[in-house]
Amino acid sequence: MMRKVIGILLIVLGLGYVFVSFDFLPAIGDSSAPAHKHVSDYYIENALKDTNSPNLVTAVLADYRGFDTLLETTVMFSAGVCVVMILGSKSPLRKRYLVPKEILKGKPYGGIPAYKTVNKDVMTTLIEILILLYAIYVLLHGEVGPGGGFQAGALIALAYIVNVMVAPDIKPLFKFTKINAVAAAGIGVFIYAFTGLLTMFAGGAFLEYGKLPFPIPENDLHPVGIMMIETGVAIGVMATIITILIAIIERVRFDDDRN
Amino acid sequence: MPTLVLEAILLLALIIITMAVIFNRDLLIVIITYCAFSFIAMFLYIVMGAPDVAFTEAVIGVISTIYFIITLKKIDRRCK
Repeated sequence: MMRKVIGILLIVLGLGYVFVSFDFLPAIGDSSAPAHKHVSDYYIENALKDTNSPNLVTAVLADYRGFDTLLETTVMFSAGVCVVMILGSKSPLRKRYLVPKEILKGKPYGGIPAYKTVNKDVMTTLIEILILLYAIYVLLHGEVGPGGGFQAGALIALAYIVNVMVAPDIKPLFKFTKINAVAAAGIGVFIYAFTGLLTMFAGGAFLEYGKLPFPIPENDLHPVGIMMIETGVAIGVMATIITILIAIIERVRFDDDRN
Repeated sequence: MPTLVLEAILLLALIIITMAVIFNRDLLIVIITYCAFSFIAMFLYIVMGAPDVAFTEAVIGVISTIYFIITLKKIDRRCK
């Protein structure tokens, strides 16, 4: 009882603080807000000239803050590795005892399941092609509109998930095992870091796209560099999501440690 | 001002959905309600003018829902 009263008091106090401080917040898009005082003006004025990329978000993410994005990709890769290490460190599947499901036992059967009413093979093929086309569009168009490597990788992984979950009979173009998926995630991070190393070999700083050793004018080098690292991010994200999917599917039961 | 009203409606919807997620005992309903949470959050990002984040939220909301449902196939559906 006492704990409940204290909890409710704390919630009321916190809500009151939120509502009182709401008035002091700057409006959305306010150009005189403290967060927009330091570098925002420089980015807005010089991004197109510096990076040759019309999308400000891409310019900041991939060019001005390239180190941040590299380390974010590394964090995501290590997250996938950790999931595999935690979920996949059990004994092989056949040794374990499968507990039958208690739920739906003795419940009335509710008609035809939804997945039997459509031809799922045809539907899956169509949907996968559309998702993959959209993913490629997002990846290549990321400099102009919203989108980029992360979203494109997640969309490609979504097509793979649709294939695995809905129509396992259709053979996918690439069949990932767990080790292959982790390796692909590592390759994605490597592509990103290798772009930085290329610029260093050519005499620039790490991830200084203007110094890429390709025989094209320097203005076009920035989009090429951004596209290279976006491809790396897309491969990394796709492989990490597939890794986690495989690790979850291979685990037979999650609560078997108790019984 | 209409943007503010829209934001208020979306935030209220977020609070109500969170209540539903906390107080429900059926884990399948919880997962689907959580998917609705990320859907409303996506609209909130669009209203705040961040289409990149909204895009990511939409895709990742779908993928995390699939993960939860795969996991749910391997555990009991109701919690005690």
